Amino acid sequence: MLLQAYIINNKVMSNAQIEIQIIASIAAIACAIPGTFLVLRKMAMISDAISHSILPGIVIGFFITQDLNSPLLILLAAVTGIITVILVEYIQKTGLVKEDTAIGLVFPALFSMGVIMIAKNANDVHLDVDAVLLGELAFAPFDRLVVSNIDLGPKSLWVIGSILILSIGLLFAFFKELKVSTFDTGLAASLGFSPAILHYGLMSISSVTTVGAFDAVGAILVVALMIAPAATAYLLTNNLKRMLLYAVGFGVFSAISGYWVAHWLDASIAGSITTMLGIIFLLVYLFAPNKGIIAVLYREKQQRTEVSLLTFLLHLKNHTEERERNVNHLNEHINWQKVRSKTVLDLAFKNNMIVIKNKIVSLTDKGDAFTTKAIDYIITNKDTQIEYMKDDFFLFRG
Amino acid sequence: MDILKYIELVFSDYTLRTITLGTAILGAATGMLGSFAVLRKQSLLGDAISHAALPGIALAFLITGAKDSNVLLLGALISGLIGTFWIRGIITKTHIKSDTALGLILSLFFGFGMLLLTFIQKQPNANQAGLDKYLFGQAATLVEKDVWVMALVTGICLIVLLLFWKEFKILLFDADFTKTLGFNTKTIDVLITTFIVLAIVLGLQTVGVVLMSAMLLAPAAAARQWTNSLGKMVFLAAVFGALSGVFGTAVSATQNNLSTGPVIVIIASVFVLVSFVFSPSRGLLFKQIRFIKNRRDLKLNKTLAFMYHIAKTHDNIAHPHTTKILNNFQGFTKGTLQKLVHKNYVTLDGNMWSLTKEGFNAASSLYNQQQSNE
Repeated sequence: MLLQAYIINNKVMSNAQIEIQIIASIAAIACAIPGTFLVLRKMAMISDAISHSILPGIVIGFFITQDLNSPLLILLAAVTGIITVILVEYIQKTGLVKEDTAIGLVFPALFSMGVIMIAKNANDVHLDVDAVLLGELAFAPFDRLVVSNIDLGPKSLWVIGSILILSIGLLFAFFKELKVSTFDTGLAASLGFSPAILHYGLMSISSVTTVGAFDAVGAILVVALMIAPAATAYLLTNNLKRMLLYAVGFGVFSAISGYWVAHWLDASIAGSITTMLGIIFLLVYLFAPNKGIIAVLYREKQQRTEVSLLTFLLHLKNHTEERERNVNHLNEHINWQKVRSKTVLDLAFKNNMIVIKNKIVSLTDKGDAFTTKAIDYIITNKDTQIEYMKDDFFLFRG
Repeated sequence: MDILKYIELVFSDYTLRTITLGTAILGAATGMLGSFAVLRKQSLLGDAISHAALPGIALAFLITGAKDSNVLLLGALISGLIGTFWIRGIITKTHIKSDTALGLILSLFFGFGMLLLTFIQKQPNANQAGLDKYLFGQAATLVEKDVWVMALVTGICLIVLLLFWKEFKILLFDADFTKTLGFNTKTIDVLITTFIVLAIVLGLQTVGVVLMSAMLLAPAAAARQWTNSLGKMVFLAAVFGALSGVFGTAVSATQNNLSTGPVIVIIASVFVLVSFVFSPSRGLLFKQIRFIKNRRDLKLNKTLAFMYHIAKTHDNIAHPHTTKILNNFQGFTKGTLQKLVHKNYVTLDGNMWSLTKEGFNAASSLYNQQQSNE
């Protein structure tokens, strides 16, 4: 809607606007690919650490090249990212502090060095920390790659585009290896895929992507683009390929919608793309069919009722004497609230487990068989039994 | 500027005194509470919280239009708490792991905060000049009132910490046991988390959102290396934190163009580095020295055992042998031989060596000792 409104207002989007959206979308795709693996490998915070600690690398690179898009600078910054990973792992290995503390110690120190380096050379460096943290997507189209007087488009588009092609190529080449090593490191090692090479390969790609995307979209958005789409996709599927696709989809959608929100509010593009990612995550977090918070709470409630039902049935089976099975007595004996007893009774009725005659509750044949099975399971505690039990429980839910 | 002059200036100059005092109190508070975060393995929570506080600051400004730092910090506190408990919700209710939850909340909240900040900057009534300082912190903007607030909050933290010391300690090391004892673990947990959030929020103005987590972690991680007692660790962390604040302020005040936050973080990192290397019991240096010493002892014992096996085959244990036969044995060096002589286990006569009675006994009980050690 917003997009249409703008097209009508301005007749057509300007060239620069299209280019910004393309850069943002490509950055989103390039981030979503390594991000998915980082999330699955429980290394999401590493991307945060890398995005901060490449700052000194960028500053040094900038001193040398004076160009934020030069390949040397990207290489230097990526090396700093890998150094961060190695440092974190070294500190972990000494056993002096826990893993996450190691991350938390390394990146602020490196980031501070970067900030101080910028501050000390503030006069002759055209680089400012805000821009590093937030990026300047709006200015990206003005820094153009010109080869022998032919305008080839914005520089950052070329940078992030080649990184994307690189990581897609590596993804297709090593998909199987990545998949196995992500889900079963031991198996991957025994099959002959070196976990170390895959690990550092992934770390290198993450560093390079962070650096490449960083100039366009800033440090914080890089982290958001890596983690948020992957985490959102993770709530929707357990299939790696689908997760990658969903993550890419969410990334691109929020890149484009975020751009228009920023346009509308006249605010930071990076900030509003992140906000769109946040809104999408919130929606999925609440409403995802199986793993969303509402589904989880509903399931927990169901399970509570089911356990109550089981307790109730066991109680009935244990007591043959009528006094114990009187409706009034049950209420006080099992000590449930009215509402809850009603739900449990309804459930039992619906499944033909009990009958009530003259205020005496008794098990039907079906209920009796079911309870026997349940007791059997509780006593033997064998896994084979629980499979049948599960089927029975699904009966209740339907 | 020499040191004495600087110290004199700290006491005479209003701004410098306020800033030094502020950063010292802040360092002490974060060090104290950071110990708990580090030991609870929630080190990165600080990072997430400090980033999550940003939209709170911006929203507080948007709603009240006030630049009063206390109102803004209240907003930061609320949004920090929302972030913290949302992280909890994600970890407990979905299968997303803690690292992803932290990174997610961190980046999403911060991004939203940046959106709001840039939005505020475009507003016509923008007397917003103060909001940027929360990104990297500006210790120079501290006034006496801020220091009082910090001191007050730190005091409350300290009192609560002392009052519930036993509960905090037991929850830290054995949460399940605490529950069985009948303590309300949830309340204690919420209490300590709230205080951690509070400490972070207090530091935002001085150190800034981005580097606040280091203030929480570094003093505690450094203190951890020197002691195994919680009380000592909390105290040491507070001292390290305060010292980082004081030194950091001193360095940034005497240099041009250096903001205080990053300098404090660097100083705190130096504390960590020194502790990692030089701590007597856990430090890398002494660990390496111990390692080398153990290896030497082992070599010594190996040589002695080898000699013992040769001497055993002779009736007279003091029968001399040439040193040549030791040469093809790894444990042998000139040094170890000298050491054995020094210990009176071996006598040397030119190129010949022989075991003494003492050395023979020591060697024969070498294995027994090891067995009894096991």
